Amino acid sequence: MTAPRLQARATLYFPYDAAIEAEIERVSAAIDGAPQLAAKYAARWLAVQLLEGDAALLAKVSDFPDAGQVIAVLAESRARLQPIYGDDIDVALVDRRYAFVHRVVQDAVVQRDAHRVSPSDKIDRVVTHPVLGIPIFLALMWLVFKMTIDASAPLLDWIELVMAGPVTNLLGALLNSVRLGGGWVESLLVDGVVAGVGGVLVFIPVMFALYLVLAVLEDCGYMARAAMVMDRPMRKIGLQGKSFLPMVVGFGCSVPAIYATRTLENRRDRLLTGLLTPFMSCSARLPVYVLFAAIFFPQYASLAIFAMYLLGIAVAIGIGFLLNHTLLKTSEPSHFIMELPPYRLPMLRNVWRQMWERTASFIRNAWTIILTVSIVLWFLLAIPVRGEHATFGAVAIEDSVFGAVAGAAAPVFAPLGFGSWQASGALISGFVAKEVVVATLAQVYRVELPAAATPPTTLLEDAALVVTSFGQAMLDTLKSIPRMVGIDLAGADDAAEPTALMRAVQTDFAAASGGHGALAGLAFMVFVLLYTPCMAAVAAAKHEFGVKWMWVSVLGQFAVAWLAAFIVFQGGRWLLG
Amino acid sequence: MLWKILHEIEAAQGPLDLNELSRRLDVDRSVLDGMIQFWVRKGRLVDDASVAGQATTVCASHTCGRNCPSSPACPFTMKLPRTISLIPLDAD
Repeated sequence: MTAPRLQARATLYFPYDAAIEAEIERVSAAIDGAPQLAAKYAARWLAVQLLEGDAALLAKVSDFPDAGQVIAVLAESRARLQPIYGDDIDVALVDRRYAFVHRVVQDAVVQRDAHRVSPSDKIDRVVTHPVLGIPIFLALMWLVFKMTIDASAPLLDWIELVMAGPVTNLLGALLNSVRLGGGWVESLLVDGVVAGVGGVLVFIPVMFALYLVLAVLEDCGYMARAAMVMDRPMRKIGLQGKSFLPMVVGFGCSVPAIYATRTLENRRDRLLTGLLTPFMSCSARLPVYVLFAAIFFPQYASLAIFAMYLLGIAVAIGIGFLLNHTLLKTSEPSHFIMELPPYRLPMLRNVWRQMWERTASFIRNAWTIILTVSIVLWFLLAIPVRGEHATFGAVAIEDSVFGAVAGAAAPVFAPLGFGSWQASGALISGFVAKEVVVATLAQVYRVELPAAATPPTTLLEDAALVVTSFGQAMLDTLKSIPRMVGIDLAGADDAAEPTALMRAVQTDFAAASGGHGALAGLAFMVFVLLYTPCMAAVAAAKHEFGVKWMWVSVLGQFAVAWLAAFIVFQGGRWLLG
Repeated sequence: MLWKILHEIEAAQGPLDLNELSRRLDVDRSVLDGMIQFWVRKGRLVDDASVAGQATTVCASHTCGRNCPSSPACPFTMKLPRTISLIPLDAD
């Protein structure tokens, strides 16, 4: 060995605590006394590893024929150290090495920017501030929904126009050409498929805009901070702070959010979070809010939708507090470290991929679940159960199978202000998937499509309408962007006219609530926000927590939703006199 | 130094950012990662990413099709920040 290397070796030697050092000496001496072992390993290094409790190395050492004495000495050494260090002899050894490394690094490495605060840290000082963090989170949420609703509204109207006019006209023309027009087949396709699936597809721009903004927040690193910010209020009421992480996922869909509870260590935390996650408003509920906010609160649509999301968080925290002090008690909150990614400019490719995949999933749902439900619903609406001259396909809707079942359930919702069979039917079918609520409303109201009242159009005229109205919708979308910050380029009130479905819902809710349509509409939104999650989420809850807790989730959420909607409607009526 | 990590996590009134912990202990991030891994091996800390990874094997929902949440292809899964939890001494 050369002199410099020997010198380096001498420099790297450092002593442990006196008690440990004495035992290292004893074990090293025993190793030196075992020639085969000493030939294979450096005595001091091996002594340290064995005292640290390296089980794999001990097994190897045991195979040496002359290791008996070493193992006996080692056992004695560990027994002597036990009263001083307990089971943490290894901690003492490793700790001393890290202290040595730390000292060497401090002495040898000059860090010019050791105390430099990175841009991410500077932003975090504000964004995750104990006081400012929550208002910033709320302001960003508000901006998300403002952008989602304002930017998507013109395109939403465009799809609605296309579905009601050109698509329906084309379908009618095709059916007439094969002599199927005017019969039950046309009714199935127009009143069932177009009204049901089309009623949901019009919300594609809304979902697209929502997923765009969420993807930007996710990719720039803010969503991780949101979980950190929300940790504090949750911890204050005795909930595990980490529980908010799966809840953030719940804003997209409850099913992966329930599975995300697996990141929590103990069953009690997983269960509690799994029960609370469906209260986060998933994106499938958004079409209901958009429709009802446009009907009953057209001037404050963004605010009404934002309030739904906040209410979901508040109810989850409240129910969590209740469960934490009753069924699912805990001793203390968990302590944890979080690795926050640095802020970065969102990558266009990531944002596009997330936005596209999530919207595509929404469209796939429309063509699978919603299409199936719409067809089943059409049959249930076509089969008569009462009415003297009613036949298949020629029955008053309220006399159909669906009308009868929904009518039987309607009294349950009467105290909430929406005791009509149409509303209760939409809520029943909403158990399959929350998007189906709007599809069902479109079907049960059997909306008179605007195009039917206008003079017949040619295929060419319809094609021209699709193109020109799309251009106008895009222009209106661009105009809506400066309007979000208070600059109105349109200069005039260009609010869209209520559609036939909107008018039908408004009239029905006003009638069912004794003239308090807006209150009933708000109560309906609250009910949809909080009531029993969709089939897929229930299946996920059963898989993760068992049948008993699945039923607690299903029935518990229904009860919470009923109570909250009751308070909104009856409380509102009382306040308004 | 090792014990300080556990003490800081325990004393924090909320989640502690890894960079913040590095600053508080005046320890380089790479050294801190090694120290944390020691406690993970020792069983005093648990890396939650590994817990979730082990558990995600079966799909409960047959309604999602290829959007199954257990699948990495589920479009609604969100990349959550890595968390490392302290295991209470009286834990099983």
